[in-house]
Amino acid sequence: MTETRGKDEQGRKQKSGAKRILTPEATVSILTVLLVIVVWYYFTDSLIPKLFFPSPMDTVLVVGRMEGVLVEYFIATMYRVVVGMLAGAILGVLCGIAMSWNKWINSILDPLIEALRPIPAVALIPFFILWFGIGDMGKLILTALGGFTVMVVTTLEAIKHVSPIYVMAARTLGANRLTIYRTVILPAITPPLIAGMRVTVALSFALVIASEFMGAQSGLGYMIMLARRTLQTDAILVGVIIIGITSWIVDRMVRIIGNYLTRWAPRSE
Amino acid sequence: MSAYIQIQNVQKSFEGTARQIEALRDVNLEVQAGEFMCLVGPSGCGKSTLVFIVAGLVSPSGGAIQVGGVPVHEPDPDRTVVFQGDAVFPWMTVAQNIGYGLQQTKTAKREQEEIVSHLIDLVGLSGFRDAYPKELSGGMKKRVDLARAYATNPTVLLMDEPFGALDAITKEKMQEDLMRLSVTETDKRRTVLFVTHDLEEAIFLADRVAVMTSRPGTIQVVLDIPFARPRDASIKLSNEFQELRGHIRELLVDDEESET
Repeated sequence: MTETRGKDEQGRKQKSGAKRILTPEATVSILTVLLVIVVWYYFTDSLIPKLFFPSPMDTVLVVGRMEGVLVEYFIATMYRVVVGMLAGAILGVLCGIAMSWNKWINSILDPLIEALRPIPAVALIPFFILWFGIGDMGKLILTALGGFTVMVVTTLEAIKHVSPIYVMAARTLGANRLTIYRTVILPAITPPLIAGMRVTVALSFALVIASEFMGAQSGLGYMIMLARRTLQTDAILVGVIIIGITSWIVDRMVRIIGNYLTRWAPRSE
Repeated sequence: MSAYIQIQNVQKSFEGTARQIEALRDVNLEVQAGEFMCLVGPSGCGKSTLVFIVAGLVSPSGGAIQVGGVPVHEPDPDRTVVFQGDAVFPWMTVAQNIGYGLQQTKTAKREQEEIVSHLIDLVGLSGFRDAYPKELSGGMKKRVDLARAYATNPTVLLMDEPFGALDAITKEKMQEDLMRLSVTETDKRRTVLFVTHDLEEAIFLADRVAVMTSRPGTIQVVLDIPFARPRDASIKLSNEFQELRGHIRELLVDDEESET
């Protein structure tokens, strides 16, 4: 489904806009979604007991029941995801650029990053709870750490792969090092950075939810954990669906911004 | 009067994976101010390396380079390069690409505008001013590259097989355009060092052709090309042109045979 939509957007020029809304591909995608809901409706409440998987009706009803607290938890989770992710990503990109700029900065930071990189950030959650408690700070730092690791590695790899011909051309035209970083390196690494950012979005949601599982007083992960203890499968499913939809929306936003920033880049359909 | 570009006893070795590779040995070459010099030689003879050294992009292992009496140590917008590959910045529009060097040399905004507009017309890209390179053909991108190298009005233009990747027809068209440009008032004074392995291209464009030996590259002989400028493509069919071509070809073949 996501692929069809992506194609639609890129194919705008050729398809002259007219029948963009319901292409045959989009129709098939919509039918798939409808089919899933029908199957879901048909099997739950009858074959599958509610305890294992709630029906669509239960799921909708629980949203109404939880309304206020749901919004509150949603905002708590989104705050952690967005702030943690942005802080980590920005620091990661800056660090990567600094490491490629100066070999001493590289010598200092490289072993630290190499030591950190293979450790799954979730494994550090117990420590973070110990150090920062179950409030926002520990979750923000954990999420930032995850995004940082992804983006610093992406940035370093991307800079390594910038075609030397662009750098040489800029040098012969009188550009100094700072100008080359600003006008050549930065635009050249934007496409891989966008790809890294999409990984970071997915990772940030995972890290926030995981840390909310292990110790929190708010958030969608906390809600799912509470619901698990009382076997409220409908509330669990609502949490899962909301996380899925928001994660998709954030990813979509990154792609839209990314497509704009890399509008110069040749794309293969 | 001494030559504008002086290349004296230039050596260059690279650290290869297994052993040291000697790319250039004792290269001596003088290019006069306003001269169009072509460098031909077998592939891998170090002719591109030599041009990069003159550009200041690569430092020689030995010897010295002077341009206009000043030793070369680093690149300068007074010595621009047109590369073999596609060096046009894909993230900049045609106008931004052409104006890049002018921005670095801190040329006044209005003057930049004028120069860029003039060059866009000159290379026949009017209407593509705000297009990104992805919308251009290979030949059009090369024109952007050429215009960008011209923009800073360099005294030396270095060209490393600039048309090597183009199809035959586009290549011929570009050569003719370059010939047309080379006789304009501003360009008569410009010194050009042009690398190619295409002998026809070299003889058509050059005032003199320097023939290099295979690796380690050195200058074998420098030949005068007697045709008056501007030249028409039809001279390629003349006997004199073909004789010159045959002569240079023999020089290159003999060199290869003496190797083996």
